[in-house]
Amino acid sequence: MVLYMKEEKELKVGFVGNPNCGKTTLFNAYTGAKLKVANWPGVTVEKKEGAMKYHNHHFKLVDLPGIYSLTSYTMEEKLTRKFILDSEVDVIVDVADASALERNLYLTLQLIELGKPVVLALNMMDIVKERGMEIDLHRLPEMLGVPCIPVSARKRTGLQILVHTVAHHKEKRKAILEHQHPEGRESRHRHDHHAEYAMVYDDTIEDKIDEIADRLKERGFECQNYRWYALKLLEQDEEIIERVGMDFSDLIDRSYEADIINEKYDFIEEIIEECLVNKQAKAALTDKADRLFTHRYLGLPVFLSIMAAVFFLTFFVGDWLKGFFETFLEWFSEGAETLLLTAGVHKMLVSLMIDGIIAGVGGILTFLPNIFILFLALAFLEDSGYMSRVAYVMDGLMGKLGLSGRAFIPMVLGFGCSVPAVMASRALENPADRRRTIFVTPFMSCSAKLPVYVLFSEMFFGKFAILAAFSMYLLGLIIGILTAFLLKGKEEVTNPLLIELPEYKSPNARTIAIYVWEKVKDYLAKAGTTIFIASIIVWFALNFGPSGFTVDMQESFGAVFGKALAPVLATAGLGLWQIALALLSGLAAKEVVVSSFSVLFGIANISSASGMSELSNVLADYGFGAANAYALMVFVLLYTPCVAAVGVIKRELKSARWTAAMIVYQLFIAWLMSTAVYQIARIFLR
Amino acid sequence: MEQIDLCGADLGKTYQVVGMDLPRAAQMRLIALGLTEGTQLEVLNKKRGGAVIFHVRGTRLAVGKKIAEKISIRKIS
Repeated sequence: MVLYMKEEKELKVGFVGNPNCGKTTLFNAYTGAKLKVANWPGVTVEKKEGAMKYHNHHFKLVDLPGIYSLTSYTMEEKLTRKFILDSEVDVIVDVADASALERNLYLTLQLIELGKPVVLALNMMDIVKERGMEIDLHRLPEMLGVPCIPVSARKRTGLQILVHTVAHHKEKRKAILEHQHPEGRESRHRHDHHAEYAMVYDDTIEDKIDEIADRLKERGFECQNYRWYALKLLEQDEEIIERVGMDFSDLIDRSYEADIINEKYDFIEEIIEECLVNKQAKAALTDKADRLFTHRYLGLPVFLSIMAAVFFLTFFVGDWLKGFFETFLEWFSEGAETLLLTAGVHKMLVSLMIDGIIAGVGGILTFLPNIFILFLALAFLEDSGYMSRVAYVMDGLMGKLGLSGRAFIPMVLGFGCSVPAVMASRALENPADRRRTIFVTPFMSCSAKLPVYVLFSEMFFGKFAILAAFSMYLLGLIIGILTAFLLKGKEEVTNPLLIELPEYKSPNARTIAIYVWEKVKDYLAKAGTTIFIASIIVWFALNFGPSGFTVDMQESFGAVFGKALAPVLATAGLGLWQIALALLSGLAAKEVVVSSFSVLFGIANISSASGMSELSNVLADYGFGAANAYALMVFVLLYTPCVAAVGVIKRELKSARWTAAMIVYQLFIAWLMSTAVYQIARIFLR
Repeated sequence: MEQIDLCGADLGKTYQVVGMDLPRAAQMRLIALGLTEGTQLEVLNKKRGGAVIFHVRGTRLAVGKKIAEKISIRKIS
């Protein structure tokens, strides 16, 4: 037997395709990554790389943001184009939503023209089948000259064949193209380009392409694909004109962009005519559903009802589940304390473990059911296809704020977490719109604020607890909208709404599971890191003072800090040093406000009934009542988001000054609103 | 047949695109989505605010008023 080492070359594969065509689902399926996928255009905002192995081939996969064409009009398109042209992608996998083949083929034709090896992945074949459509998989590759592989990223079919094709297609082979002109449109081409290129233009354009390409060669312009450069010059693409830097004014008398596009679409019509069978078999279901969801009057109430339903599920079902967690925590905390004390561990260490870590971290973990249900509901919303409809429904209102309905999507995502929500604002093209959306997003009630609402509304508002908590969601929305209005410039809407409305899909179990599990994992990780460390720091701040270890909290560093801050908060009824300290620690993560209360007041199981009555009794001794609790909730809702969110905001704003301005603004609004609420509430609640 | 803009279109009717007069970036994006001159579109939904949902080349698109009023169309059926 001869042993030999086969050279293992890394193949770089770029996943390119329209927005919402399933590139990321495919990427996840191959790499085992768990990048976020959802059913609305523009989920992927950043290029992501991953690796996989297939037989002897190492693949480097690159997931790119979705694009509709390869012009230089938008950032994503420019980047994708540059990436393909410059970074030497070995093979392009053009992911197309086969259920909307007509629109997807436009990008396909442009990708083929780039001259790199292209493999067309016909994704969502399961949906094509469901709708009773059929694609002629024999004729399609003949017309396009590239392999066409039917896959379903969601159902994980065809994946092996696709990699196999990619591996074998790395050297572009001579395409087998067959073109028959439709009847009545006889070819009178002087050129016989049909054997070479899928997309052949009419003679005027083909002549010009040849002449331009010749001149480029003559004058020593070096590139891989003269035809593509010639086409781009004919389209008068600014970037390419600059790159080429030659005068073609004698050949290019005008922009041929419109002609080139129209001819491409003419060809696409031919393809569809020949390759798509039963294209009229449409899913009437989406149109029926849209009659309600995008109804001119009912659309908004329907959206608000859906959000209210999400909210009630989170609170009612979540609370019921939370009970089991509390029972367990109680048992665990008591058991651990007995164990540690009988084992003779030093009292100080026991206090750190029980009052610091278990009280802080454990208290936060009991909110896991609420978090789980919230993200489950959001996952359903995002995966169903409803998010684009929300953009349409909110377009009128957002228009009054000078924003397009598109800017509302980050706000809805903000109910989950500000970090991805702020990232989602990238889908807005105008930097000023993006900045305003980023300013607004942190005012949404993110999941981290939830424990604070649950705890304080249940402690102080009894049967009205849920209303008190729900009012926070509305208040956040109102403040957000007012903020957008305040920041509105004089100019009209600069970037009007333009969004694709995907077909509704029954949510995919796998997608939902990944989405929710990632969020739950984040929450657990946060409890294990940020909240864990914050609890320890708070415990130290409370047990050590200028004079070393202290039993009297009043003498501790924490009290010193808190007392310095408390007077500012006094107008909002939050003038206790403990509260000031809890709010300060909440900058690490908003849940820390709750865990700090546990540690501060030495309450073992803060979210249980006994823990709550214990805390409310202690607070009552300080004169802290319902009005104060409500002011605290308002403050937590509005003040500066956690450090993670601030970090992302700074990165996205690309400006320390704007970020600082935002922090000051949020602190001011939080103080102003909580003060106003407290002063008014005191009149009624006394 | 008389020419109107997309804002004035009737629900459920089919029209043919006659022309567009939009900022270049928006116009090119619409064209990339298949809204070329001569294409047929079907109006699925519209709002008082002027936003319109229509069907073009197998895709559903929602556009705001500022775009809809700059797309001229002609009725077919």
